[in-house]
Amino acid sequence: MSRQVIQPEKVRTDLIPTEPPTHRSGGSRLRTAAFGLGATAVLASCATDAPQDTWAPEGKYAQDIHNLQWPIFLIAGIVGVIVFGVVLFVVIKFKDRGQPIPEQGHGNALIEYVFIAIPALLLAGIAVPTVAEVISLNDTDDAACVVNVTGQQWWWEYDYPIDAEGNICGVKPTGEAAPIITSGQMVIPVDAKVVIRGTSRDVIHSFWVPKLNGKRDMVPGRVHTWNFQAKQPGIYAGQCAEFCGLSHANMRMEIVALDKADFQSWIDNQLEPYQSPEQGTLAATGEQTFVSQCSRCHQIDGLTNADGELVVASPEQFVWSGAAPNLTNLMTRNTFAGATWDLLTEDCRADVWEASPEEFGAKYLEGVTKSCLNEIDLKEWLRNSPAKKPMYTDPESLDDTDGKTRGMPYLALSEDQINELVAYLIERK
Amino acid sequence: MITTGSKLLIGSAAAAWILAAVYGIAQGGTLGSIGLISAAIALSLLAGINVLARDSNVSATEPAGFAASAAAQATARPSLWPLLVGIGATTMTIGLVTNRTFFTLGLIAIVAGALEWLIQGWSERASGDEAYNARARDQMVDPLELPVAGAIAAGVVVYAFSRVMLGLPTKTATVTAFSLVGALALGLGTLVALKRGVSKATLTGTFSIVLVALVAGGAVAGLNGEREIEQHHTTGDLAAKNECSAEETEADENASQSVASKSSVTAEITYQNDDLIAKVPGYNGDFDQLTLPRSNPSNVLFRNESDEHARLVIELHPATDDNGQPLGPERVCTALVESGGTQLLTVVIDRPSFAVEEGFAFTVAGSDAQLQVVVP
Repeated sequence: MSRQVIQPEKVRTDLIPTEPPTHRSGGSRLRTAAFGLGATAVLASCATDAPQDTWAPEGKYAQDIHNLQWPIFLIAGIVGVIVFGVVLFVVIKFKDRGQPIPEQGHGNALIEYVFIAIPALLLAGIAVPTVAEVISLNDTDDAACVVNVTGQQWWWEYDYPIDAEGNICGVKPTGEAAPIITSGQMVIPVDAKVVIRGTSRDVIHSFWVPKLNGKRDMVPGRVHTWNFQAKQPGIYAGQCAEFCGLSHANMRMEIVALDKADFQSWIDNQLEPYQSPEQGTLAATGEQTFVSQCSRCHQIDGLTNADGELVVASPEQFVWSGAAPNLTNLMTRNTFAGATWDLLTEDCRADVWEASPEEFGAKYLEGVTKSCLNEIDLKEWLRNSPAKKPMYTDPESLDDTDGKTRGMPYLALSEDQINELVAYLIERK
Repeated sequence: MITTGSKLLIGSAAAAWILAAVYGIAQGGTLGSIGLISAAIALSLLAGINVLARDSNVSATEPAGFAASAAAQATARPSLWPLLVGIGATTMTIGLVTNRTFFTLGLIAIVAGALEWLIQGWSERASGDEAYNARARDQMVDPLELPVAGAIAAGVVVYAFSRVMLGLPTKTATVTAFSLVGALALGLGTLVALKRGVSKATLTGTFSIVLVALVAGGAVAGLNGEREIEQHHTTGDLAAKNECSAEETEADENASQSVASKSSVTAEITYQNDDLIAKVPGYNGDFDQLTLPRSNPSNVLFRNESDEHARLVIELHPATDDNGQPLGPERVCTALVESGGTQLLTVVIDRPSFAVEEGFAFTVAGSDAQLQVVVP
């Protein structure tokens, strides 16, 4: 193969196809461009309900990031407009009209110095507050509350350790202190610096609640810390931000901020001892169904079997990540299955989400009542969870995981069993 | 006149239709049939356009254009690419009955050879100007060819070098050889930089000799195999043999007292004054109990600030099978850590605290020091 480098003037231009003549006028192009820009602006303003809007901070750390990114975007925008403007001007002004190629000049020192100095100054100006902000965001000193966060395919687990003074998340429980473990929604006190200590049981995940802070990767074998502080009571939605497998899109999270009194109530409620359903009820039958069908993986603290022995789940024997959500106080949360579906009906959900900061705590602490339970999604989940949320649960395709699934498998529950389980679970508050 | 390009597309379209029919009848797969039929339709459309457009922009009513048109140029010149395709086909066939690697290499050779051949064929008839055709070919292929060739060359050098290093008889010899090669490369580079007017032929010759020597050395070393690397006992062995006592063992003698991972650990546990204290990232102050997640490897850093050697131990109380046999290790421990030393211990606890009557605790072998562990 010969490779011959040839000069431009030697290329035969008579063989190069020419552009077909265009009938579009300059006015038409301008109109198209204006329409495109207008449509983009209109579409950009369409998102009215955007719980994960990065431009609407609701907490200190998100506000700090917001305060930094605004001027940077502004500078970048101005630079972009200038650069694109100059390029556009040059393209139009010096369009090839058959004129001879002008004489080429090289080595204008002044222009080169200026074009080096301006970006260098801009980058230095941006770098100083950015680095300061990165350091500030990572400062975990003087935390009022610490929560351990563990990611796995495809849900988040939150556990609240007891500190040296016997407090949980900065609050002294009314009764005896014990570790709290929950999932789906992480409940925190409002206006308090909350540090999460995050890790993962399987692959890399990323914890991201945009209205409260930026993203933080959760890496197996490592503990990464990150701060949150909510300005007012409410629910703040998030999403796993690191692709983590089949149901990455269904790995969501919500942070619930409660004022101090409501948070104390939440802590006390979580530590309430287990209450068995009243004998002879559908819920009591559901308790036995839960023991036989669900307790291999799901823990309910205090649950005993027919012999009165504590039931201890063994998710490490059935689930690849080694864990399944603890369902002790399931109905105090508003979501299930990785915060992907609501336990509340649409109206009841709106009632909680749209509550004023003053009313929010009381509404949230009501939990899921029978009239508000979203039975449709919950029953669909119990009927065939892999059909609702894609997971690696096909028994014939589990060679790589020693027969363990990566989510809840199909359990072939009867409709009677599903009704019993729902009756039992609705009492888990 | 039907051009070569048109013939290729017509043949491809016909093959796609036949494949679609055969697949549809034999396999009955909806998705595959849709894909093949889509490909057949697309190829038929392209073939039709190509035939109508005569594979170039020369009008059929313009006889003067024929002489200069791409379609009127001589057929493509001889090429070595079909040879590569042939070698690839042979390798792939051998790979079918021997080794998957041969099959993959053969497949890559076929695809690469066919692509190069197609592009050569196209470029040599792109116009009536050979120089223009050569440039067109380079513009098309260079962005792919140069990085791939560079990566292959780098891979060969690195692999050959690694074989030589691993083939040397001792670790010291490896370090010495590595230093010498580095010094040699630096010296050679310095000489070339200092001496002006080194000819291209000299440089090419020198580098060729070095490359050939390296590849030959790599081949010899690869055939001789790696040196024997001694396997040391680990603290995992200690736990397996229930040797987590205060006594020193063979594993302790071989254990490294340096730690690679010092950041992002779950906790730092310090042994001092016959007491165990934990520091936990995210908390201020010391802790007399730790919370660890269940069924998740947690790394703790053990610092021995006492005057004597010390070993951190934790009983795991693992779940048992139907025969009462533990499903995991019964305990894990660090090596015997010297005074002022540090070691990392990875702990996986598969049961919640409430399920274990004794609870969980870190202890130091031969001491009463204890640090409670809570597993929610």
